[in-house]
Amino acid sequence: MLTPSYLIQQFINALNMGSIYALVAIGLTVVYGILRLINFAHGDMMTVGAYLALAVLSSLALPAWTALLIPVFVVAALGVLIERLAYRPLRGAPEVAMLITSLAVSSLIENGATMTLTAQPRPVRLPAELVQRVDALGINFAVMDGVIVALAVALMIALSLFVRRTTIGIAMRACSENVRVTQLMGIDVNRVIAVAFAISAGLAAVAGVLWSGKFGIVDPFMGFVPGLKAFVAAVIGGIGNIPGAMLGGYLLGFAEVFFVAFMPPEVSGYRDAFVFVLLLVVLLVRPSGLLGTREVNRA
Amino acid sequence: MLSVQDLHVYYGRIHALKGVSLEVHAGEIVALIGSNGAGKTTTLTALSGLLRPRSGSIRFEAQDLTRLPVHQIVRLGIVHCPEGRQVFARLSVIENLRLAAAHRADRAGIARDLQRVYDLFPILAQRRDQYAGTLSGGEQQMLAIGRALMSRPRLLLLDEPSLGLAPLVVENIFRVIETLRRDGVTILLVEQNAYQALRLADRAYVLETGYVKTHGPAHALADDPAVKAAYLGG
Ligand SMILES: Nc1ncnc2c1ncn2[C@@H]1O[C@H](COP(=O)(O)OP(=O)(O)O)[C@@H](O)[C@H]1O
Ligand SMILES: [Mg+2]
Repeated sequence: MLTPSYLIQQFINALNMGSIYALVAIGLTVVYGILRLINFAHGDMMTVGAYLALAVLSSLALPAWTALLIPVFVVAALGVLIERLAYRPLRGAPEVAMLITSLAVSSLIENGATMTLTAQPRPVRLPAELVQRVDALGINFAVMDGVIVALAVALMIALSLFVRRTTIGIAMRACSENVRVTQLMGIDVNRVIAVAFAISAGLAAVAGVLWSGKFGIVDPFMGFVPGLKAFVAAVIGGIGNIPGAMLGGYLLGFAEVFFVAFMPPEVSGYRDAFVFVLLLVVLLVRPSGLLGTREVNRA
Repeated sequence: MLSVQDLHVYYGRIHALKGVSLEVHAGEIVALIGSNGAGKTTTLTALSGLLRPRSGSIRFEAQDLTRLPVHQIVRLGIVHCPEGRQVFARLSVIENLRLAAAHRADRAGIARDLQRVYDLFPILAQRRDQYAGTLSGGEQQMLAIGRALMSRPRLLLLDEPSLGLAPLVVENIFRVIETLRRDGVTILLVEQNAYQALRLADRAYVLETGYVKTHGPAHALADDPAVKAAYLGG
């Protein structure tokens, strides 16, 4: 049963799931860091991205790589638009107002997709190059598996550099410490928040495209479960903390995949419950998450 | 340069400023003194736009500030160095300084101002790549002032720069304030340390529970028996 090739397969699987959770968790954490908003509509950005990719793939006019690029830009713009219309008017209101609004945005997208596109799951047919298997580093895996991990890691490196090195990245970190004082630096925080939403939604779109490619299916509620898991990942890592979201995402991917791989079938069905047990244990030991810092008083 | 007329500011239902009027002329140091809770911080916060007045006007040169977004007020040259330092603890010293200059386009000017900050506070150059949260209280205050300078202030709003600092550091900070004045920066200085503030300032306003109780030349206030009794320890 636990043959080396089985283990390797599970390892690849865990890397895949971890990569996707990490991408989604980063988006949640970036927005939370600045607005203290737990964005319930975040998983739905995955869904929108996945449907757009499906549309691009079904239209023979466009090359396959645009099935990634188009969703990223469209969904990033959508994220900015949602912030502008739904969240910005609530700035300064109690945090729960924005949270409830994000629930409303989420149902709007899910119900809208159900009504216009039906709840019927649609199959995704990946281009043949992505389905074929290759041998590399002595292991055998589908090209898509490699693409998921490589793309996620590249995006995470790019984001880390962006946040470390660029002015707007520094402003994002400053905002997550204190928005009011950031304004006193002459920074237009509306711009910073728009950029944060663009990044957040854009990464979710990538995750949605990858997720639908991996599982071969798209439906209006597909973003819900990974959105929830990514939230758990972000909290495990320390919500508001970008490296924490990455760590939490991979931790969750590995914990989940190996839980299923090692547990007998009667137990492995409790995979999702296990995820929350993991969350509880981490929070008992480290209440602000693995890399989180205790909330300092925000003026 | 700055003209404030009949400013009323509320926190919810708390009426914190009840008709404050004050003037700051170019090149002056104006002190705003008064006991805890008098409304000094509230006044500065309204000037920088973080709090919006219920009524009254704030004019800077010809411009009305009461509707302007905070970041645009900064870009006019009104720079607020807030109470309690408020440096970004998880940014490095240089990131704090760079951020405050991010809205400026004059690269050469930014480099010059950075050098000036390092000249005024050499310790910041040494601590350049450290997280601001690891600095001592005095160093953080230096960073807060240095950061304000990176925004190229024409009118600098300083809120209790000496609060909770060791005497030597306080001395250093007040020396720097004098240097800034010589360089042509106009300063509105909030201090509980009224003795120091009146020594440094040209004019002063005394605030009490949201009102301007009295104002005038700093030396005159320093000799005023009522002010002496209330704020200078007799
Ligand atoms: N955030 C706030 N919420 C409610 N009341 C406040 C707040 N900040 C200040 N106040 C009240 O406004 C008044 C003026 O405070 P403040 O401007 O901070 O005084 P000062 O800086 O002179 O010590 C005080 O009565 C204070 O209790
Ligand atoms: Mg105060």
